[in-house]
Amino acid sequence: MAGTRVSRGFKDISFSFTPHPITKDLPVLTNERAIVRSVRNLVETIPTERFFNPLIGSSVRASLFENMSPTLVAVIEDQIIQTVTNFEPRVDNIHVNVDGRPERNALNVTVFFDVVGLSVPTQSFNFLLESTR
Amino acid sequence: MPFTQFTSLDFDEIKAQIRDYLRTNSNFSDFDFEGSNFSVLIDTLAYNTYINAFNANLVANESFLDSASIRENVVSLARNIGYIPRSKTASKAMVTFTVEYEGEDVTSSTQKLSKVYLKPGLVCVGATNNTTYRFSITEPTPATLKYTGRTTNPDGSGNKIYEAVFGTPVDPIEVFQGTLSESRFVAKGLKDQRFILDSSNIDSSTITTYVQIAANYEATIGYGKIGRQWKMIDNILNLDPTSEIFFTQEIQDERYELLFGDNIFGRKLDTNDVVTTRYIVTDGESGNGAAVFEFQGVLTDQDPNEPGSKTVIPYGNVSINTVQSASNGSEMENLSSIKYYGPRLYSAQYRAVTPRDYEAIIQSIYPRTESIAVVGGEELDPPQFGKVQISIKPKNGTYISDFDKIQIKNKLKNYSIAGIDSSIIDLKILYVEIDSTIYYNSSQITSATDLKSKITDSLVSYSKNVDINKFGGRFKYSKVLQLIDRVDDAITSNITKIKIRRDLKVLTNQFAQYELCFGNRFYINPEGFNIKSTGFTVSGESSLVYLTDVPNKDAAGALDGSGKGTLSIITKNEKNENRVVVKSVGTVDYVKGEILINTINITSTITPNSIIEIQAYPDSNDVIGLKDLYLSFDVTNSKINTIKDVIASGEDVSGVVFSRDYYTSSYSNGELERK
Repeated sequence: MAGTRVSRGFKDISFSFTPHPITKDLPVLTNERAIVRSVRNLVETIPTERFFNPLIGSSVRASLFENMSPTLVAVIEDQIIQTVTNFEPRVDNIHVNVDGRPERNALNVTVFFDVVGLSVPTQSFNFLLESTR
Repeated sequence: MPFTQFTSLDFDEIKAQIRDYLRTNSNFSDFDFEGSNFSVLIDTLAYNTYINAFNANLVANESFLDSASIRENVVSLARNIGYIPRSKTASKAMVTFTVEYEGEDVTSSTQKLSKVYLKPGLVCVGATNNTTYRFSITEPTPATLKYTGRTTNPDGSGNKIYEAVFGTPVDPIEVFQGTLSESRFVAKGLKDQRFILDSSNIDSSTITTYVQIAANYEATIGYGKIGRQWKMIDNILNLDPTSEIFFTQEIQDERYELLFGDNIFGRKLDTNDVVTTRYIVTDGESGNGAAVFEFQGVLTDQDPNEPGSKTVIPYGNVSINTVQSASNGSEMENLSSIKYYGPRLYSAQYRAVTPRDYEAIIQSIYPRTESIAVVGGEELDPPQFGKVQISIKPKNGTYISDFDKIQIKNKLKNYSIAGIDSSIIDLKILYVEIDSTIYYNSSQITSATDLKSKITDSLVSYSKNVDINKFGGRFKYSKVLQLIDRVDDAITSNITKIKIRRDLKVLTNQFAQYELCFGNRFYINPEGFNIKSTGFTVSGESSLVYLTDVPNKDAAGALDGSGKGTLSIITKNEKNENRVVVKSVGTVDYVKGEILINTINITSTITPNSIIEIQAYPDSNDVIGLKDLYLSFDVTNSKINTIKDVIASGEDVSGVVFSRDYYTSSYSNGELERK
């Protein structure tokens, strides 16, 4: 169970696995970048995908096969907010903006949030949700 | 923290260990958050460890007979020590029937048909427990037609009537509960070809196999269409390269596989040999009990295994006589039984030498066995050297039939040492009864009747305990006292007396001697009344009489220390006083726990089935089932009295009322009659 600690700094490994050009160390994600990555991981995880923890993740991917409508946008927004609230204790004041891109069969998702315990401005990140099959 | 807890098998525990390790040894901090990349890595590592641990655990467990839990593995491990687990067993019934056949014209002198054959497959149907079951045979059965009469038409013509008798009361036809199935294989000459019978409910003892040799297929000289029958065996003794044999073994999903020879031990199948296997697919135990059968069989004019046999229609109805109703069906041997008997049969090496060997072997040849007692003749009194006495308690019953006894004895001959005569004797049951007075606090219960039924229920479930109901069993007094006390919080105490009883089956209206062994030392009350019986009548005395005893005493009137006593027959006169009918009718040996009744002519008994119940008080409250005595805790005949504990409920502070009105003796009474 994740602890609700107020951290002085967050440090996570990067999955790009590109070595640092000089030190040859693995790349590291710190603070808000680590949290952005975490929120994105949570949204893109399909429930039941994680071993022995079937509740983690959001059903956003399943919604991508629905027809585009304002209701669908609201549902996806809710799912993202709920997932992040449940599984990422380091963020607060989450706001999600979903823009439909029917011409590309995609949704442009922007997530805004404040990082708890870090004096950084409101963070946002943006990603494109596309049905992959 | 180092990884030292290798015992963790749980995914969450492994994950927590990795996290703990990282917490102290890593610059990273985000592994605590489920969404982080690090968490994904930890999950993968933990899952990997978990799968490895699970696999290692499973493989280790399934590699040993004691710990394996998958049937296929248990069976395979048992096979390694030469144990073949029992398959489902079809219940068998013995029947006879007569079929009539309308033959040629009366004027014809050529008999159209001399024999009829009962075709393998369905023979009859019988019902038990509101369900109809099919009964079949696996091999054709012939019967000779005998002329019995003729039909007469109005014009005087007619046909001859013949009858064929299938089975006699002495040598009846054995029918198996279940459906006959047939599987046919063509040998391909491949090393990896398997001959698997697809049903999982096969009675493996009914598997019959015929092989049509390919080289003779065209010529069919000496061979029928189906081929010659090969024999099922379970060991390689006396085999040569030409022996026509096969083995069976249980494989996955409770199915059976046939294994043929290799031209060293038994003949090998050649390419294109045709194997035809017939077997009974049975319902097992549920078929037991069917007693009335209806004929459904098919008759043919020649051996149905031969090509070109035709169906014969019987003349008139066929009625079946039941010689023995369906019995001995049982379910497939379960895992705990395989684990128990496998090593025992291995240590017996298929040789009946010690009593334990008999236990393992009889269990395998008579699956309905619940408990066995084997006593060597040298232990008998008087000793009978060269004899082995076997008592068997079958499941769901008390006695085994004479037919089964003969079968068991015949099968035992294959295992027992030459010169040893084994005899199967009827079960001798030693009943233990209790007379319990139970005190309860009336303020803690709503109904004394409910309390009594709760006590009875728990005693009944205790009476089914395997410690008691077996040969060599022991009734543990203190356990029963505890059990009663713990039934309900309202119970404050119990006073429980123990009685042992044996049922004497008498030969009415015949002079006979009787001997009854209890195998437990009797308690001696110098006054007598240690032995009590139910009432019976003897010739020469009109009133109901009872057995009682008087211990031997010396001149001073004290017990003489011989541990013996005299058995008497007494009755009650009209004033309810005891009157001695016969002063010495036998002896009692209190030390051996034995009653001998001299020659006596008993004319009737008040207990049905010519039984006199004879009871005694054991010297020790822990009763054992000695030698061939089968110990049984008889709750039905036990007495359970519930009495209000007035001291505990506060009604009687001083105990005066209790000792006056609610008093119970811990000793037996001096009454004559067994009640």
